[in-house]
Amino acid sequence: MGGKSKVTFKYSLVALLTLSFALSGCGGGNDKNAASTDKAKETTATDSASSNTGGKIEPFKVSAFIGVAGQQPTPDNKIYKKIKEETGASFDMEFLAGDINQKLGVMIAGQDYPDLMTGSTKLTAAGAYIPLEDLIEQYAPNLKAHYADYWNMMKDPNDGHIYILPNYGVYNGKVNSSWYSGPAFWIQKAVLKEFNYPKVKTLDQYFDLIEQYKAKYPKIDGSPTIGFEILNYDWKNWGLFNAPQHLIGHPNDGGVVVNDGVAEVFANKDYAKQYYQKLNEMNEKGIIDKETFVQNYDQYMAKLSSGTVLGMFDQHWNFNAAEDSLTTQNKIERTYVGLPLVYDESTKDHYRDLAVLNLNNGFGISINAKDPVKIIKLLDTLMDEKWQKLFSWGVEGEDYIVENGRFMRTQKQRDDAADATWQLGNKAKSLFEYLPKTEGSFSDGNSTDAAAQPEEYKAGLKPFDKEVLDAYGFNSYVDFFSDPPPNPVYYPAWSIDLIEGSDAKIASTKLNELQTKFLPKAILAKPAEFDSVWTDYTEQIEKANVKAYEDKINEQIKWRIDNWSK
Amino acid sequence: MDETLEIDTGVRRPKKNKKKKQPITWRVIKNQNQLIWMSVPLMLYIILFAYVPVWGWTMAFQNYRPAKSFGEQEWVGLKQFKFLFTDDNFIRVLRNTLAMGVINLILGFVTAIVLALLLNEIKKVFWKRTVQTISYLPHFLSWIIVTGIVATSLSINDGIVNIVLMKLHLIKEPILWLSEGKYFWGIVGASHVWKEVGWNTIIYLAAIASIDPALYEAAEIDGANRYKKMMHVTLPGIKATIVILMIMSIGHVLEAGFEVQYLLGNGLVVDWAETIDIFVLKYGLAQGNYSLATAGGIFKTVVSVTLLLMANGISKRLGEERLL
Repeated sequence: MGGKSKVTFKYSLVALLTLSFALSGCGGGNDKNAASTDKAKETTATDSASSNTGGKIEPFKVSAFIGVAGQQPTPDNKIYKKIKEETGASFDMEFLAGDINQKLGVMIAGQDYPDLMTGSTKLTAAGAYIPLEDLIEQYAPNLKAHYADYWNMMKDPNDGHIYILPNYGVYNGKVNSSWYSGPAFWIQKAVLKEFNYPKVKTLDQYFDLIEQYKAKYPKIDGSPTIGFEILNYDWKNWGLFNAPQHLIGHPNDGGVVVNDGVAEVFANKDYAKQYYQKLNEMNEKGIIDKETFVQNYDQYMAKLSSGTVLGMFDQHWNFNAAEDSLTTQNKIERTYVGLPLVYDESTKDHYRDLAVLNLNNGFGISINAKDPVKIIKLLDTLMDEKWQKLFSWGVEGEDYIVENGRFMRTQKQRDDAADATWQLGNKAKSLFEYLPKTEGSFSDGNSTDAAAQPEEYKAGLKPFDKEVLDAYGFNSYVDFFSDPPPNPVYYPAWSIDLIEGSDAKIASTKLNELQTKFLPKAILAKPAEFDSVWTDYTEQIEKANVKAYEDKINEQIKWRIDNWSK
Repeated sequence: MDETLEIDTGVRRPKKNKKKKQPITWRVIKNQNQLIWMSVPLMLYIILFAYVPVWGWTMAFQNYRPAKSFGEQEWVGLKQFKFLFTDDNFIRVLRNTLAMGVINLILGFVTAIVLALLLNEIKKVFWKRTVQTISYLPHFLSWIIVTGIVATSLSINDGIVNIVLMKLHLIKEPILWLSEGKYFWGIVGASHVWKEVGWNTIIYLAAIASIDPALYEAAEIDGANRYKKMMHVTLPGIKATIVILMIMSIGHVLEAGFEVQYLLGNGLVVDWAETIDIFVLKYGLAQGNYSLATAGGIFKTVVSVTLLLMANGISKRLGEERLL
């Protein structure tokens, strides 16, 4: 070997190494997938054999993707620690950062899935979940019993498999509720107090109160009073879109109103026009926040938290954090009461519904999961009442007390439970949110939700809230709403999967776009110009092929009636 | 050894002896084998990350479903492109993208060059450094933060822009900047300038630094004042840099951005705010229609390459520096 060939050798070695690095970096993903599915089969076989030998707890890790932004629990979180001690499972959770569609797109493109993923029609369409029905039948008696009545509903309408374990909507025992989480027209308690707690039934009465209050108190704590706020930001657009269906006495079906099993889009109907015309009128009077259509969610929440907003249409869970902030600032009179408004008093309100199975939510097991059997067994174990109590109430003696068999909290425990920082160390909130869960009551009669335990709710009420409720003669704020009638079989239409990329989905996107564009324009227009904007808007909708959207909904409603009826 | 050197110079200055191009013979390859080996990793890198992904373009002609293998995909020809080009919104979206792209390009260029020229005139190093540092810091902020700052400063309640304009008595009552389509392009352009001007200046400052000081001295002896030196020495000195950067940015004109428009846009300004990227996100990615997203990407690439070649050609005609 001469000097030159030595050099050549060196260079070729470098090149070879670079090549091998580059190639291994790129091909790795697939290898892993293949290997893991093989392994899955293998372990499935061995696991089912060894599981009954029991006794020893083997530690294992479960990776989970949570499709919303969230915070990691502290490393020494007491609930996760207990799970690890008793089942061996530890969780490696990934929360959403940024845009969900983008994130899912990347996950799907790379076939890069953790063991557990929260439900998404996109992931279902990409074949990212494994079918669960056989696994449940074989290994998960608790889950089987839990979902027994809902089995058919859980099946994917496209191929009949069960991919997602719904987290909400399966009820056991007596259902207490003292907290309404759904849509309503919200009004500050202070406004009601000011006018001596009137009964507010119609949209006109509601705006009348707000107008009077704003005229009387142009400033709240030094900032200008905002009469009515509408959030229309990104996917949180129902504040602008959904109100008309409720005003004519229909429950929340998303973008359609269903009469006798037939759905129609309501965005361009006269009863929708009536609502937006009212808003237009209110805007002219300066009741509606000028910035309402340019603000983002953070700005909206900041305004609500300042206590200067008298009213808005929204879902309670969406602005709950702002109310918490008001409570912390001790501005109870600035928190809100939900009102089930209708156009005229003869219409019966139907805001409150019996909660339904949430089909697009909860956990599914991914095709990359190394050991689906172990995971389903873990989920099954966590379905046990002992664990459910631990998740919802916490540790007895530490997080709640038992008086005569009834669960209660001391004031300290109540304050702790509301403290977000405390939750990170002492609750498995983000996990439990998406797990299958007992809702209603436990076998001993206690509520599964501390806030819904009647005596606990009463004990936790602030004096001002007591005053408001006493004035109306109600037990809780839920009593403002009519009792919900039984749900139709198909209900709700908003949970219908329109199938990614279909004409129906494109039409619904188009409709959404037109609403986002034209409704603010119509509301902010001079009253004389309202009609011409509205005509323009309805013409555009006609062009947008909403028929395809309606047809798909109707087809699925029919399918649900055929398959879900008992 | 001598031979290699000669060939080397040939490689470095292809313009001059373009006509008598060296034929590639085994001898040449053998002599240059070290160079060839050195370039192998780079070639692989480019093949892997620039050419292999082009294979993904096949998606644009399919009804791509992620779970299926290549053989199982349904081929649909030009359907996705048809959807793209026949959609009512497409022209509008294209117009917005081009408009904002051009505004960003021109504003970005002018401001960066002006700032570089002005900075060059500052003789106190401390001030120069300070201004430079402050002006390029926003580059490191992400758009989500920048749009937050922009939205807050344009707010009618306590936004600084409205406060200043009111104090100057330029406007009678606060303007709701983000609700008017006619302002939107300007706001996007201004945000871009604020975020990137300092960063873009760096390269010009570097180019200016390499100008021979003797030229300035000569100009001074000839009686040139500051302004004249700027016009006749500094600017021509960085002309090559400007032209090359210009050609490169023209290729990116369709990358008018996604985040700014997405984060600042709302229903009222959607006609001016929606860019191709947002359109593709809405009807492609958000719908799980990856094929449409790919078709949009191909369209953008084709237009960009065309623009790039055109700019390069014009530059060549004018006898200027060029990229290719």
